[in-house]
Amino acid sequence: MIRAKFAQLSLKNKFFFSILIVILLISGTIALLARWILISGLTQELEMRGTAIAHSVATRGTEYILENDTAHLLNVLFDEKQLHERRNLVAYIYVEGKSGKILSHTFTTPFPKRLKGVNPVTEKVEKSVQVVPFGGHEAYDIAVPIKEGIYQIGTVHVGLSKAHIDNLVGKLRAMFLGFISAVIIITFWVSHRMAKYIADPVMTLTQISDDLSRGSFTSSDLIYTDEQAGCPAFHDTDLPCWHFDEQRTGANNTGARPHRCKKCAFYNEPGDGDEVQQLTTSFRNMVWSIRLYRRRLQESESTYRSLFRSGPDPIFVVDVLTQKLVDANPRTEEVYGYTRDELVGMRYTSFGQEHAKECFEYFSNDELCAEAMRSARVVHLRKGNIPMYVNVTACFISYRTRPAIIVSTTDVTDLVEKDAQLIQASKMKSLGEMSTGVAHELNQPLNAIRMGSDFLTMVHEQGIDIPKEQYAQVVTEISTQVDRASDIINTLRSFGRKADLLLEDVNLNEPVGAVVSLLSRQFLIEDVHIVTELDPVLPYITAQHNKLQQVLLNLVINARDAIVERNEEGAGVRGRILIRTEYDAEGVSVSVEDNGTGIPDHVAQKVFEPFFTTKATGQGMGLGLAISYGIVREYDGELSIQSTVGNGTCFTVRFPRQEVAQVAN
Amino acid sequence: MRLAFKFATWAVFCIALLGCETKLEKPAQYARVPGVSSTEITIGSSLALEGHASYLGTQTLRGAQSYLRNVNALGGVHGRLITLQAMDDGYDPTRCLANTHRLVSSGNIFSLFGFVGTPTTVRVLPLIEEAKIPLVGAFSGANALRVPFNPYVFNIRASYYQETKAAVELLVSQMQCKRIAVFYQYDAYGFDGLMGTELALREVGLAPVARGSYVRGAVDIDEALHKIVTAQPDAVVLVGTYEPCAEFITKADALGLDAAFFNLSFVGAEELARLLPDDIKGDVLVSQVVPPPFSPQVHELMGIAEEYVRHLKELYPDDVPNAVGLEGYVNARVMVEGLRRAGRNLTRESFMKALESMGEFPLGGKASVAFTPKDHQGLEMVYYTVLEDGEFKLIDDTYLHLKRSAAVKFEEQVTQ
Repeated sequence: MIRAKFAQLSLKNKFFFSILIVILLISGTIALLARWILISGLTQELEMRGTAIAHSVATRGTEYILENDTAHLLNVLFDEKQLHERRNLVAYIYVEGKSGKILSHTFTTPFPKRLKGVNPVTEKVEKSVQVVPFGGHEAYDIAVPIKEGIYQIGTVHVGLSKAHIDNLVGKLRAMFLGFISAVIIITFWVSHRMAKYIADPVMTLTQISDDLSRGSFTSSDLIYTDEQAGCPAFHDTDLPCWHFDEQRTGANNTGARPHRCKKCAFYNEPGDGDEVQQLTTSFRNMVWSIRLYRRRLQESESTYRSLFRSGPDPIFVVDVLTQKLVDANPRTEEVYGYTRDELVGMRYTSFGQEHAKECFEYFSNDELCAEAMRSARVVHLRKGNIPMYVNVTACFISYRTRPAIIVSTTDVTDLVEKDAQLIQASKMKSLGEMSTGVAHELNQPLNAIRMGSDFLTMVHEQGIDIPKEQYAQVVTEISTQVDRASDIINTLRSFGRKADLLLEDVNLNEPVGAVVSLLSRQFLIEDVHIVTELDPVLPYITAQHNKLQQVLLNLVINARDAIVERNEEGAGVRGRILIRTEYDAEGVSVSVEDNGTGIPDHVAQKVFEPFFTTKATGQGMGLGLAISYGIVREYDGELSIQSTVGNGTCFTVRFPRQEVAQVAN
Repeated sequence: MRLAFKFATWAVFCIALLGCETKLEKPAQYARVPGVSSTEITIGSSLALEGHASYLGTQTLRGAQSYLRNVNALGGVHGRLITLQAMDDGYDPTRCLANTHRLVSSGNIFSLFGFVGTPTTVRVLPLIEEAKIPLVGAFSGANALRVPFNPYVFNIRASYYQETKAAVELLVSQMQCKRIAVFYQYDAYGFDGLMGTELALREVGLAPVARGSYVRGAVDIDEALHKIVTAQPDAVVLVGTYEPCAEFITKADALGLDAAFFNLSFVGAEELARLLPDDIKGDVLVSQVVPPPFSPQVHELMGIAEEYVRHLKELYPDDVPNAVGLEGYVNARVMVEGLRRAGRNLTRESFMKALESMGEFPLGGKASVAFTPKDHQGLEMVYYTVLEDGEFKLIDDTYLHLKRSAAVKFEEQVTQ
């Protein structure tokens, strides 16, 4: 009950009451002890003095009693009684004779009748002490027998003034009480001050903490607004606050004291003052840190918020767990065509299933999370499922305590389309270059068909009867030649067709076959032989057939040019182009190797640059390899070159394997 | 906080209760005034009526009684007759104390009056203080009766310090004596006189050349005589009673010492004159606190001396009026005046107040007695007398030896 009540008291009162109670107990004990020891001691001491006086009187007075010389006896009594300070203590002395007759006394009035016969003693006792009344007072009557030999001849009575003793005791008591009272009052005051000293700052801190938790940083008593003006770092975030910035680094903390301004308005050195003051100082520093943090955070947030709002590219935040958009900037609305309300809560996969999947897989991996994920030319679908090409940069953040990714996309559709046009143009140029060869190619089946049809016409006009087997053979040959021509034309058409934007699974052997079939015969004219070493079991890659054809076409044409150039220099070698496809655990590659002039190292570094050409002006645009390089990069591939001058060159195109290993039959 | 203060207050209060339990009671006061009845006021005195100082006691008593008888004959004071109960102490302090105690403790004495002698009076001082009984007109100039101030003691005569100072002044300034010896009684009276002389000498840059003492009541003065005569002083201040002093002067003279012998008033001038032979070579001087009754200037100096002579004659026709008796007579007059002023409702307090209100009580001529609550010294005057033709005569302007005023008045209070 009391304990519970005590627990409810404030710290100040607890402190105060505890000290007070202890002091009261001690004081009470001291008071009682003092009373017991001092007062009883004093009384005893005074009684002893009285007894000594009585004995002295008894000794000195004996002869006068025997001689019945009351005058001298009286002198003895007065001598004893009036000796200096004794006169206050000793109220009276009187001597009784044997028969109880008063022989002498020191009263200045007639001998009080009430004293007659009081406090009798016999020779057997040393002394007798008794409180007796006399006049208006009381006295400690100390009676001592006067002896002659062993027989009593009288009694000395010494009366100690009880009033005097009480007065002494009273003085003593008053002194002690005064002292104890003073101690109590001083302790009261001191404990009160101490309790206040401890409790007040704590209460202020509590008050400030409450304010802080309510978000009110301005109303706190601890930070004075005047001081804010004094700190430049508070207003200008470019200025460092040593204390703040250096302590924030945490891990880099070398234990050395952080720098500080000569006169810091906020950071007080801890260590001066007692614990309460240190706590206050520390608290002040904490509040100041929080305020500075908040201010910088606010500034940073507003900066990034404006960046987010006014950014030229769509930026949006995707919750990793729900895979839904939680925020998007206005640019997103423009680019994707959705309103913000529609965007928020939309699944990220609805922009592009493939890439979204990759994205979440990427960020579910803890190791990769730290780095941003960059993807080029990803197809995103805007409102109405209209595809567009975007470059995506995604990085992991924590958005409102949930794991999220912030995705920034750049619309590169125009760029992609322009690329395509450029490729087309270059393709058309290649086609133009190939037209002679293609015509020659077509000529052969056409000649065969001509010959067949001429033979059949001759047979028909001349009426030559040919065996059925022969006839069937001719017709079949014609049909074969038509197919062949048709194939050539199809290849040509497919080559010239403008590619669309969608990726597909491609077996590298297919574009190789197409190119070879298109060019092999034509190259034979220039004595260049195309040899293929194709791996029949090749994994798929993700690319576009049409574009890969273009890459190969460029490489093969370059190879031929190199061979032709070499022959023109008079080498007289037999041209040979080896096209090889192969794969390993990580990728699929196709290499085009020639035995042409070779490329010197300084040229090899530049061959992929646009408009770089070694050919005579007007013969080449210098775009072939650059475009090829761009296409290969587009499919995450690599285009590498190995060359020996005078010995030939080998271009190798290498693509990553698809994750799900599909093997082309 | 308020609660805490309340708590603390209670705590202090409780501690206070722990400490105290008794209260002092004021003693009840007596209603009856001791020694005063509707028709009578009894005053007590202890003095030497027998023995070597009996002359002083007897003459004091007779001087006083000659006046009291006269007062009583005229109906007393406020209808009360005054009875003086005198007891003989033989100049013995022990007996004086016993007498005083008997007087006081009988409860039948209003006031003490006219004690004679320094050691005796000093002995009873504590008793007087304890009994709170006034003592008027002690025949002693002792400093102890004056310093420290005692509210119960009313001194009338000038102190020994005043007398010795006057003596030194006369001897040193007027008679050009440089070598001064002191002969004193070895008790409180003698010490007082010795100390007074020494103090006065120190003021003029001198010190006694010899000191000699004798025991009170004895007459063996030879050792002291030897010491003093050996020093060959110009003057000797004698602080003693008439018998030893007379013997000293006689013997010193016999030894051929030609010096001035200056006695204090207590010596008893008339007895001294009677005891001394006529042919003393040096001057024998006695300082007096009252003028000799038969001196020609007495009317001018203290008029009531004539009344004393008349009253004494009525009661004790055989006695020769003398300075000692005159002092007793003056004491009685002051006493009666105090009683008169206190009125009918007489208490010891009112009596003392009445005395203290006595700003100026004329004694005829130049003399008057004055008391204030802070000053219980009634008279300040010292008179010089010189032995001439077997009689002490007042020194006046016409006298051959001296050219100074007969009356010396000391304004300043004498301090130790």
